Amino acid sequence: MAEALIKLQNVWKVYQLGKIELPVLRNIDLEIKPGSFVTIMGPSGSGKSTLMYLLGLLDVPTKGKIYLEGKDVSSFSDNLLAGLRGKKIGFVFQQFNLFQNLSAIENVMLPMIFQGVEEKERQDRAKKLLTLFDMAKRINHKPTELSGGEQQRVAIARSLANDPEIIIADEPTGNLDSGTGKIIMGALKKLHKEQKKTIIVVTHDPNIANYSEEIVNIKDGQIIKNHSHIAEVLWQK
Amino acid sequence: MAKVNFVKEYFKIAIRNLVTRRLRSWLTIIGVVIGIFLIVSLLSLSEGLKGAVLQQLRMMGKDLITIMPGDITNMMASLMGGQELTDDDIKTIKKTEGVDFVVPINYTSGVMRYNNQKKTVMISGNDWQEALDIYKNDLGWSLSEGRWPIPGKYELVVGSLVAQELFPGMKTEYGEAIIEGRNFKIVGILNSVGSKQDDQMISMDLDIFKNITGERTGAKMAFAKVKTGYSVDKVVEDLKQNLNESRKRKVGQQESDSSYTVLSSEKIASIVGNVMGLIQAVIIGFASIAIIVGGIGIMNTMYTSVRERTKEIGIMKAIGAKNSTINIIFLIESGIFGTVGGLGGVFLGFIFAKAIEAYFQIHPIFYLKASVTPQLFLFSLAFSFLVGCISGFLPARGASKLNPVDALRYE
Repeated sequence: MAEALIKLQNVWKVYQLGKIELPVLRNIDLEIKPGSFVTIMGPSGSGKSTLMYLLGLLDVPTKGKIYLEGKDVSSFSDNLLAGLRGKKIGFVFQQFNLFQNLSAIENVMLPMIFQGVEEKERQDRAKKLLTLFDMAKRINHKPTELSGGEQQRVAIARSLANDPEIIIADEPTGNLDSGTGKIIMGALKKLHKEQKKTIIVVTHDPNIANYSEEIVNIKDGQIIKNHSHIAEVLWQK
Repeated sequence: MAKVNFVKEYFKIAIRNLVTRRLRSWLTIIGVVIGIFLIVSLLSLSEGLKGAVLQQLRMMGKDLITIMPGDITNMMASLMGGQELTDDDIKTIKKTEGVDFVVPINYTSGVMRYNNQKKTVMISGNDWQEALDIYKNDLGWSLSEGRWPIPGKYELVVGSLVAQELFPGMKTEYGEAIIEGRNFKIVGILNSVGSKQDDQMISMDLDIFKNITGERTGAKMAFAKVKTGYSVDKVVEDLKQNLNESRKRKVGQQESDSSYTVLSSEKIASIVGNVMGLIQAVIIGFASIAIIVGGIGIMNTMYTSVRERTKEIGIMKAIGAKNSTINIIFLIESGIFGTVGGLGGVFLGFIFAKAIEAYFQIHPIFYLKASVTPQLFLFSLAFSFLVGCISGFLPARGASKLNPVDALRYE
């Protein structure tokens, strides 16, 4: 059995609101295997976004441990975590989160600048990635000149800029019509199948589950069910 | 090398951010431009003024002592109040050990007619016999045309501005002037000595001056030339002592109620240098206030920018930007505000200072040369860059310390 790529062990995330402690995640145990396609599902306020931020090393747990490739990263400094995020994790957001003053190709090149990739290589890689997502003719367009679907494809290309092992997508189809949403999910599925990327999708949309191999259901800050087979989810529906 | 390349990349990102918020960026830069403009223009003009005054003082020989009635702390009151050196004072100066000879300086205003024109001018009496060498060697007088007057003759030497402005076209060959009903021959025109007052002076023989003005005794002030081999400072001290004792003897008092100002050329230069330095310090102080206001403008813009771009900062952190990267980008932005503002300020300050210089060349109230040195240029640029960086430090630090999750959730 393959070692977990990301492992959460007895993880708690508690926010302090004045004198009140608000536990958002409670005693989470979760393993994400390399090359898996996992959907984290749950209603609003269930803690799925907080879980995503912990998996994406954007936040650290209040209690418990997070392991990346077997290494405990829960007490890493901001800079070490930033370095790991840049190399190992790519993010796709619901709002696309592209830089409005940069063109498509510049948006894709940006994460490479932070990793110290030379300019020529940055350009070559960014062009290839945009071509892969059928955006070759739109590389010099600013986000405001692109449709929602195109922006999300640029965002996926950006998430792959440093060839990370993990792609974390937060409601990637949330701002798209169903047709475009299918294209985007198809692109993520393709990445998973052809490039063996580990895909983690956070959503409240059960249809997204069709694309994944494993579904983590979360409610009130706790994992209530971890389905390893899609059939179980479909049966539940 | 790689680090330099990435600073270049961060620089590009910073420029892009500033261009995106163009109007705000320019307004912030203008704040710095005003501060640096004030520093460059005021400093270059005051430095130029200091240079001109000191140059004039340097023309005075080092062995020349200036003696004036009254106390240095209230010189204007002494001169305006009509205090003068008496004949006894002049004799005392002459008798003081180490004094080679004395040049009394007498001047008054009078009306001069020349070529059917009548003007009020300043007239000085000069001892051509004894003191011509002092005028030439120690006070920097030189002739642009003509010759020096013959002692005892009704002859005049006029300052450069007399021939240029008061009586334009004045020539020495056929120059005849009338002062107090007496005919004088204009025999020489001086080169500029660097002071408007001196350049407008009419100089005549001392005895003739005394006769026609009625100012027969004493002098407004005097120069004493120190003999070779004597210490100027020692002679200064002796002069003070002798003058006070002489006055005490005359009025029969224990304490003299008169005072004298006795200064060596070096002391005068030092006093003037100090006064000008003080003026410059005040100027820098006021200009610095303008720079501080510019710096606060930068800080305000940067804080606004950090707030507006909180989500962007979160995204940058999500895609791998380290805290130091965010810090550098924001510091570059504020540094650009400072540097571009500095460049604009230096440029405008230079233009303004040169315009003032040109104005004073056309209207020479006093001779002023703007002193825009490479040091001032570099100092202003370095200072403005520093102001930019200091002003941007806290906002940049705040941006770099933002929690990525909070930043991403910021709307």
